[in-house]
Amino acid sequence: MTGTGNNRGGAGAENPGELSGAYALNALNAEEAAGYEAHLAESEQARIEAAELSDTAVALGRATAPVQPSAALKASLMARLASTPQLPPLPAPVAAPAVRAVPVPPDVVPTITEASAAPGIDAAPAGQNVPAGPTRGAASERARQRWFRGPVSILVAAAAAVALFVGGAFAGQAFNADQFQQQQAAGLAQINSAPDSQRASNVTADGHTATLVWSAERGLSALLVDDLPALPSDRDYQLWYIGGDGPIPAGTFDSSGTGTVWRVLDGKITTGDVIGVTVEPKGGSKQPTTDPIVAIQSS
Amino acid sequence: MLGLMTADFDFDLESTAPASKEELLGRVARGDETAFGDLYDQMAPRVLGLVKRLLVDHAQSEEVTQEIFLEIWQSASRYEAQRGGASTWILTMAHRRAVDRIRSSQAGRDRDTKIGIRDLAVEYDNVSETVETRIEHERVEKAMSRLTELQRQAISLAYYGGLSHSEVAERLHIPLGTVKTRLRDGMIRLRDELGVAS
Repeated sequence: MTGTGNNRGGAGAENPGELSGAYALNALNAEEAAGYEAHLAESEQARIEAAELSDTAVALGRATAPVQPSAALKASLMARLASTPQLPPLPAPVAAPAVRAVPVPPDVVPTITEASAAPGIDAAPAGQNVPAGPTRGAASERARQRWFRGPVSILVAAAAAVALFVGGAFAGQAFNADQFQQQQAAGLAQINSAPDSQRASNVTADGHTATLVWSAERGLSALLVDDLPALPSDRDYQLWYIGGDGPIPAGTFDSSGTGTVWRVLDGKITTGDVIGVTVEPKGGSKQPTTDPIVAIQSS
Repeated sequence: MLGLMTADFDFDLESTAPASKEELLGRVARGDETAFGDLYDQMAPRVLGLVKRLLVDHAQSEEVTQEIFLEIWQSASRYEAQRGGASTWILTMAHRRAVDRIRSSQAGRDRDTKIGIRDLAVEYDNVSETVETRIEHERVEKAMSRLTELQRQAISLAYYGGLSHSEVAERLHIPLGTVKTRLRDGMIRLRDELGVAS
């Protein structure tokens, strides 16, 4: 693989900085991108380079000829807005009052709240938050802003994307699965807008952050996992309620390996339930056949 | 870490114009559908142009464009002007989405043969562009002309072709390590030629 004298690390592991070009061009696979992001977390210089090369890539994008979309596209989009939940702004950090008085682990992004139900009321524009910390040089500050985002925040930001793939039964056919997506998105919106909406996180066996959001009042829950590895085509991830009566299946899903997968659970959650995920033969099993890759308690 | 996620009024220059994309995005974040429609009108041809450059197929490109604008609607509140202009945010998202689509579907293989016969250089045969986009195109074309042939090919295949660096290596019959350095050196050269600075 390493064919040239100026390349010491075949997979980039020895010299992760050399992946900056490929990263800016979205030319890395999920694993490589994760490795590079770990490098970014350690090096401000690398973050600046990554931000600059990302902007350079956008310049390439601006050079493409515009193409006029069909009128139907806008009509279809506008029609979907009313039923598409919006994320509230990220609240001001630590020092600022919490958005909601729900117990939230300190390192987890504050709860997604009522903004989807009433987007105009409390949702201050992002630009009105107060900057925190000392003023830095614009470049380093921007680089920090861009890269120092916790995985959970990215995960939550991605969570409400209706168009995200959801549900194992619809792998690779996202646009043939509108109804399922709408139902899933509606479920997620209901959880997010519930007055008792809560969340808890854990890390999978492979180190990916999984977050459970739920509303006990509405009996609804959803699991979100960041960059969950793709499975062989004959396997699915399966969700379980793990309670006193043994595991109860709660739906299957799969993952493209990049971005955030999320799935609103089938059935009803009761506070205290443990939600687990196992890898099962395609379509799911009646009982788990493997050990859970992650389990999260809803309390 | 959360402490770094706030924004202030340190807007980019492009945000100072009336009803800028940044302002529109701020209103979109508050659920303003009219602002969303205006932002769509300003950005959709660019987004679709970029997506279609990668996916080739028009219908599929419109689908992905729809996904992108729904994501804009949903996550507008997460846009931070401090981190760059609104169109930069949107086009970054658009490219990622287009690449995701290529990697996650048969689309990549289907359009492979089409890509193979296309010119690798910046392609621009559409005459309906605005003055603004033509100027941008000429800037980029000029900057691209300063790269080595291998740098230009590798960057074009990755960005416009949506290929991973391993696929670029395969396509160009050069070692992966060489592709990495060509992509990086080429992007740094482009950055300098285009005067991009954070």
